[in-house]
Parts: sequence; C-alpha cells; structure tokens
Amino acid sequence: MHSLAAYGSPVLRWGADPSGGAPYVYADPANPQRYTGFDYDFAEALARQMGMAEEFVPTDWESIVASLNRKEFDVIINGFEPTEDRAREVLFSKPYYLFRLQLTVRNDNTLITSLEDCKTHSKSVGTLVNCAASRLLEKGGYRIKGYQDPVGAYQDLELGRVDAVLMDVAAEMFYARHNPKLKPAGEPFHTGAYVVGLRKGDTLLVSRVNAAIDSLANNGTTERIFRKWQLWNDEQLKLRTGGKKVYEVTSSEFNWSEGLVKLLKAAAVTVLLAFGAMIIAVILGIPLALGQSKGGRLARILCTVYIEFFRGTPVLVQLLFLYFGLPVVGITLPGWLTAIAGLGLNYAAYESQVYRTAFQAVPERQWQVAYSLGMRPGHAFRRIIFPQAFRIALPPMTNDFVALFKDTSTAFAIAVWELATAYRELANATQSYLGIGLIVCLYYLAMSLPLAHYAHRLERKLQRKSTGILSSGTEQ
Amino acid sequence: MITISGLGKSVGSTPLLSNVSLELPSGKILGIIGPSGNGKTTLLLCLSGLLSFDSGRITVGNTSITAEESAQRSEKLWQFRRQSGIVFQHLHLFPHLTVLQNITEAPVHVNGTPKAMAEKQARQLLEKLGIDQHRNKYPEELSGGEQQRVAILRAIAMNPDVLLLDEPTSALDPVRSGDVRTLLQDYAAAGHTVVIVSHSVRFLKGFADFLAFMGKSELIEINETQTLLENPADERTMEFLRYSEMQ
Repeated sequence: MHSLAAYGSPVLRWGADPSGGAPYVYADPANPQRYTGFDYDFAEALARQMGMAEEFVPTDWESIVASLNRKEFDVIINGFEPTEDRAREVLFSKPYYLFRLQLTVRNDNTLITSLEDCKTHSKSVGTLVNCAASRLLEKGGYRIKGYQDPVGAYQDLELGRVDAVLMDVAAEMFYARHNPKLKPAGEPFHTGAYVVGLRKGDTLLVSRVNAAIDSLANNGTTERIFRKWQLWNDEQLKLRTGGKKVYEVTSSEFNWSEGLVKLLKAAAVTVLLAFGAMIIAVILGIPLALGQSKGGRLARILCTVYIEFFRGTPVLVQLLFLYFGLPVVGITLPGWLTAIAGLGLNYAAYESQVYRTAFQAVPERQWQVAYSLGMRPGHAFRRIIFPQAFRIALPPMTNDFVALFKDTSTAFAIAVWELATAYRELANATQSYLGIGLIVCLYYLAMSLPLAHYAHRLERKLQRKSTGILSSGTEQ
Repeated sequence: MITISGLGKSVGSTPLLSNVSLELPSGKILGIIGPSGNGKTTLLLCLSGLLSFDSGRITVGNTSITAEESAQRSEKLWQFRRQSGIVFQHLHLFPHLTVLQNITEAPVHVNGTPKAMAEKQARQLLEKLGIDQHRNKYPEELSGGEQQRVAILRAIAMNPDVLLLDEPTSALDPVRSGDVRTLLQDYAAAGHTVVIVSHSVRFLKGFADFLAFMGKSELIEINETQTLLENPADERTMEFLRYSEMQ
C-alpha cells in the first residue's frame, strides 16, 4: 500500500536537516528564504529524472530515520550513509557519492596526526551524532563527544572543549578547511557512500530511485553537481560501473548492559548539574533578594534587571548564549560547567523572589526586637530572621529544585551528556524510543521522588517545631 | 533614668509627637495613658532607639542621642538601643527558638555571657514566675500570659537601664497576676526605670509611681499617680479619666 502511494505520488518528498547542514542542504546565505546545497541540487535532479516534482521537508538529523518511518517524507537525501543498524530500519538506494573522513585538530596541535593518536593519548574526538564517523568511533572505543551540527563541533574544537573533530570531507571542507585556527590531521581515510534512504516495503520506489541514480551518474549530471560544489574526484567514477561494492559500511551493535551503564553515567551528570546549579541559585539568590529589597537605588535597579532578564528569557536560550556567546569575550567554559552556571544563574532569579516573599512574611517587629536586644543587623539576620524566613521559603524552594532537576535536560542543547541527551542518542541507536524512554523516566523519578520525600519530611519536622508567624498582628 | 527634651516627630505634615519633654529618675515606674492614636507607642519607639525623631534629645541611662544621631546607623545608636529593653503589645517572641533560647540568645551572643551561666540566670527568672517547666517549649505552645512573661524576661535578661512595655494588658492573658507586677516593681526598685504605655488606668493605679497623659501628639501633663488621678490640672486629662472610669 505504502509503496503504491509513494509510487503513484507525483511529488518526491525528501527530508534533510538544514541547520548547520552546509554544504549538503542549508539556507542560502544570500537568500535565507531559499535552500541550497549539493544534496538540494541532487534531489532536484533526481526528481526531474524520475518525472516527479520535489518537495523539501526540513527535519532533524538525529531522528531522521524515525521521521522517515513516521511518513513525514518519503526519502532521505542528506549525506545519508548505509550502516548495518540502519539496514534494519530502512532500505538503501545505490550510492550516489563516495565520501571520505577527515580528522581536524587545532593549528598548534603537534600531538595528533592520526585517529590512532587520539586513542593513545586519550584525547576526545567530536563528531556528528548518528553518522558513519560516530559509529566508527564508537566501535573503536574512542572518547566521543556528539554534536547536532558541524558548526558546534568545530567551534568547540577551536575553543579547546574537544581535542579533535572527525567529519565527512564535504563538511570539513566547508566548515574547517579555511579556518586558520584549525588544520587537517593526516590524510582523508575510510571510503563511505551517500545513499538515498527509503521506508522498508517501498521496493518499487527503490528501483525507480536506483534507475534514476544510474542515469544521473552516466549522463554526467552527478558530476556536474559535485563539480559545482568542488567535491568531485575521480574516485566517483567507480560508481558508474555499478554492481561492485566499492565502499565500506560502518555498523553499531547496541549493547544493552553498556547502554544502561551509559544511562547511569548520564544520570550522575544530571545529579551533578542539578545540585551544582541549585547551590549557585540558593547562594546567589540571597544578595539578589537583599539588593532588591534593601539595597540602594543602583543595587535595586541592577538586581531587578538581572531578575527580570533571567525570568523573562528561556533558559535554553541563556545556555546557548553562555556556551557560544561567552567565548567571544574570552571566557570559555566546558559544557557541564556552562550548564551548572547557566541553570544556577537562572534559578537564582527565582530563588531571590522566594526569599523576598519569605523575608517580607517575617514581621518587621522581629528585627526591632533583635535590635533592642543589642543584636547587629548581621547577627539579627543570621540568627533571628533567616531561620524564620527559611521555614517559609522551604516548600517553594523544594518545588524549584524538582523543576531544576527536570530543566537539566536543556543541557542537551550544548552537548552535555546528561539523561535527555542520553535518551536521544541511545533511542536513536536502538530505535527503541519507548523502552529507553521508560527507563529514562524511571531514572528521573528515582531521583526526584526521594528528593520530594525528604523535603516534605524536613518541612514537617520544622513545622512541628514552630510554624513561624505566630504572634504577628497589627500594632499602632 | 530618662530625660526627654523638646522631642518632635512627624510623618509628612502629620505631627506624631510635638515638643515632648519629661524627666524620670531611676527606680521609678511611669505609666503613660491617653486615647489610642495619640503617639504613646511612637514615644516608646523613640525611647528605644528603634524610631528616628525630627527634633530634640533623649537621654536613657548614660547615653544621649540627638535627632540627627537617631537617624544614623552608628556605634552611638547601637549603644543607645542597649540602654532599654522593649516588650511589644504582640510580644514577638522568636518563634523558632525555645523559651530558654529566647531568653539566652542575646546574653550569650551579644554580651558573650557563657551559655551555662546565661541559662542558669534565665532559669532562676523562669522559676520565679513559675514557668520553668516550659523552658524547652516553643512560644506557640504557651498561653498568652506565659508568652508575655517570657517576653518580659527576654528583655530583662539584658539588664537594660530602662524597660519599656507597650499595652501589656492587651495580651490574651494580661498582666494582672501579682508575680508579674512584683517582677516589674522589683526591677524598678533595683535602680532601673520602667515605662508602661496603657489605656487601662485601673491597671496602672497603685502600681505606677508617675502618670503621664498624652493628648494629640502632646504630653499634656505628668505627675505623681495619685495626684494626677485625683487632681488633674488639664481639662483634657479630666475628660479622659472620666471617660475611662465609665469603661
């Protein structure tokens, strides 16, 4: 049924990820309304060859296979490599381009001249998630850092957040070759192929696509396209002969026990992020609250601006800003530290408001009594006001902590290996979104439920002692 | 000992205190009476150093501050605040501390009295008032009268030269009992000064040595208790006394 629908459809709907997607598919810098790229040109030519109209469906690279199978589009044309694990999910067409991999390092690096060196010296290697290079690295047991797009990977390489980057030559040429701070380490290696990906069962469409690919190769259209993008080499001629396998296929075997260990590690990182950020938030919230309610004019304005800024903009944007924006002014933090700092700064704004309300709930007379007993402001605050305000602040703080726990998932945007990132990557590797998803939820619950429980117990314990504002009232 | 001369305080254009002057020797109890809203509590707050004033000078014990000094956070103001202890109408015990901790917090952490000694002294006072068995309870577990006793002991524990009480008869279980009266009288007799603001003339009768009557922001008259009650000099005092007798 599906195959007939696709076969009969006059439109070839093809999916690719245009974000950081140069030179495959990306928004044309000269005209951002339009897309361009060699895959864009190739898809157009392919559809024309098949006598169909083409329709580009922008999608997300990491979950591109799942999107294909959800029928958001009918074919993947996105520098898509055949791998053994993908073969279980999709059909592959004939290859239309042979690619090689290139390792890139910083200009001043003399240690790494090959991929092997990264292993010997235990250096981290960045690459795109869910691609041939990532599978190669995983199999080889390298220290991998996965990225959503090449821009982030090469930027982190420049900033020293990762030691080397392994990428298809096409992407390397576009994003790294002309960067004076980076240099290729060794020669290109590993010949892989780009194919068109199709849904299982679309066998008729596969044969039509294959016929079209052959035609394009033989009539020189493919050559013209790749020459235009300066990606042509004589190796591609091997594809014209057809039949023989002239490329290597990478694979990844998902190992469940290893996967669970990876998830555990991710859970540990999540805990680290949550606690680290909460400590910053709890401490930084105090001067913010004091500045806003007791400070001078300038302090008041600054604190209010800070609070409204962090409460009024999304935490995800703040993290991206810190991760990619701060290096511009010379401050480069690793991803996990950026996440702790970013979430901490963000939640400090919220905690300051919790404190402010809590302190306002402690009657002014408590300060006066303390002063009349000879206590200085610091002493009165520490021993009299703070303990009372703390009781009032505890329940909303607990809520915030649980919320923060879940917000650590935003760190996936800056390539921190925490639970949400782990979920995406492992679920993609196994195509088991449901199973891994349930495990990840259980991990989150296993952490947040005890937290809520202990906070509740602490609250009850403090409440048994005293409820706080007991003898307040209006006085003349 | 208290000396107030030319004390003035206003909020916006509304005068709260106008040109108040009085002198009170040590060892005496002063009752301040008058309708509510006439500046009695404001006077008490100025005496305690917790509220700044606009003009005049106040001397409590051996420290004296001017209007200017009352508005500045200075060593002198802290010194001045130490001269008096205040018991508010609503008491404001520290809800997170036990009875004993309420009383010993300031002696231990402000004066540096050894904890054991401060606790011993506190317990002697608590025993005197018959509430030592409550020493480890939290304020909310006590009755209104018990809370008031603790609030008075908390102030007395710092041995201030002057003890100020705001409307002590409005507590849930007001100071009528002899033991609190005795406590206050003993404190005055030991060379301190006690000032009690109250609308209850009956409570102050035969207890305060002097009575002062506050009209609208003004100190109308001050005299020995008996004299003021039997022979008030001002029409307004007379009217107030007549009115409060009807209550």
